[in-house]
Amino acid sequence: MTEIGVTLYQRFGSIHKRRLGMVSLLAVGVVVMLGLDLWAGPAGLAFSDIISGLIDPDQLDLRHRIILWDVRLPDALIALAVGAALGLAGIETQTILDNPLASPFTLGVSSAAVLGASLAIVVVPVVPFFAEAAVLPVMALLFALGSGVLILAIVRWSNGARETVVLFGIALVFLCNALTAGLQYIASAEAVQQIVFWTIGNLTRAGWPEVAMVSACFLCVLPFSLRHVWVMTLLRGGEAHARSMGINVARLRLWVILRVSLLAAFAVCFVGAIGFIGLVGPHIARLMLGEDHRMLVPGSALCGALILSCASFLSKALIPGVIIPVGILTAVVGVPVFLGLLSGRRRMA
Amino acid sequence: MTLFTAKDISAFYGRSHVLDRVDLPDLSDNQVLGLLGPNASGKSTLMRCLSGEKPTEGQIAIDGETRADMGHDGWHHRLAAMPQTPPNPSALLPTELMWSTARALDLDFSDKELGDQIEDIFKRLGLAEVALSPLHTLSGGKRQLVGLALALMRDPDVLLLDEPTSALDLHWRMVVLDLVRERLAERGGVVIAALHDLDLAARYCDRIVLLHRGKIIASGTPSEVLTPANLARVYRVETRVTSDEDGRPIVHVIRPLRDVEPA
Repeated sequence: MTEIGVTLYQRFGSIHKRRLGMVSLLAVGVVVMLGLDLWAGPAGLAFSDIISGLIDPDQLDLRHRIILWDVRLPDALIALAVGAALGLAGIETQTILDNPLASPFTLGVSSAAVLGASLAIVVVPVVPFFAEAAVLPVMALLFALGSGVLILAIVRWSNGARETVVLFGIALVFLCNALTAGLQYIASAEAVQQIVFWTIGNLTRAGWPEVAMVSACFLCVLPFSLRHVWVMTLLRGGEAHARSMGINVARLRLWVILRVSLLAAFAVCFVGAIGFIGLVGPHIARLMLGEDHRMLVPGSALCGALILSCASFLSKALIPGVIIPVGILTAVVGVPVFLGLLSGRRRMA
Repeated sequence: MTLFTAKDISAFYGRSHVLDRVDLPDLSDNQVLGLLGPNASGKSTLMRCLSGEKPTEGQIAIDGETRADMGHDGWHHRLAAMPQTPPNPSALLPTELMWSTARALDLDFSDKELGDQIEDIFKRLGLAEVALSPLHTLSGGKRQLVGLALALMRDPDVLLLDEPTSALDLHWRMVVLDLVRERLAERGGVVIAALHDLDLAARYCDRIVLLHRGKIIASGTPSEVLTPANLARVYRVETRVTSDEDGRPIVHVIRPLRDVEPA
């Protein structure tokens, strides 16, 4: 295998360059998908109108301008922001807990968000003076952050033992699901339907403020994730080795889970419990890019954005005139891609 | 010149005493100390105390300076530990593991220097062929060698090896320990290795400490420590000890002892 005269440094460098190319390809894919997502929809806007409307909104007539700037653009951008946040949260959870099945959802963050949202749906109509549209995401966010605080307390208390963290997360999922079921049991049929609809996940509820908040959360967290790429990469070699090098794994775990909780809480509170992306986005990125977190962290965020954007496009394009909730489509889009990559990897090995 | 001292080391898990006031002999340049003892005798715990990973009572110092004196980074700059378990069989490449470790620890290498340093260590350990193969495609023995490469990368003065040869076949056991010896002759420093294999310990160690239930049973040169009486007490086996042409002990195990009183 070793080529004569080529140093390990050069061979490692060329692997790195190839992976950098893959990440750039993913970024291009995200931009293309964003274009397709903006173009799809019942209003029949031409692709050229969209491009010119993005550059100069005044060129479009009022109706088209509102459709592009107030409906399609926020929906398409929230898909990217939520997808990227969940992809980033997913890769960080899997690495820090050394568990390929872990995702922000195994930690109970989204179940807590669903519980918060359900509470808002069931209780708010009874209480006067509060608009449900405003209270619902706030409750979802508060509950998701609350579950994050609980998980952080467990990480601290168990001194970062990862089995304890995973088991506690799963227990929290069951507890939140039970409480949500209890709420559904006492709620009206209409409220139950609303809860179910929220749980599926839907991008069309988002406007510019939501886009800004999820993006801000992602952009604030990303630099901290990038600062930890080296130590997260070496953690893939095992906790024992990291510890013996003098790395404080318990403290690292606390920081990473704080980041993951924030990302997941903001990602799900406006659009509902869109699952799957935090689990499979990182795996797709890993199959393409290997374990080097310099590539994997941005790659996983891009994969998450790409999957959700693609699902958003299909949710409008699949049945003309009907918008299927995007949560139904994320797995339908992601699973074939994932299986394709997996079988490709098998053939290569 | 390196002097490593470890005195009065105690450690607990919960309320049970795993190490009870252990004193190690002082080690100076080029010395290899072997820690022997059956399973659960406290070898790994002692290793983790020495590296600073497990907090302990007692004084551990390099050239008279403790971990508190040197600070976290200073300490880990002079001392490196190789844990018992080999690196995880993930899709990580051995080169990535070395590279990311060097960068995470802020080791002062340029990219080119680091690449050459990693290649050099891998060549010496017979890992050049697998330098860019995912860890999960490597045998347990090769992964253990990657673990050793990781500990060697910082070029430490004090090298702690916890069962460095447990997954290796006969050839690589000797290659690894020869390499460790060679390295000491080249650059000085001390090595402490927890070992299972008595003959290997007799062959490569200058000093041996025999641990049993967290206490030192015997400490000294291989021929002082590896006696039938000590081995019967600690390992519960009947042995005959002869010596080779260089005077090093060779242990022949005859049979397990059933009715030895637990020491």
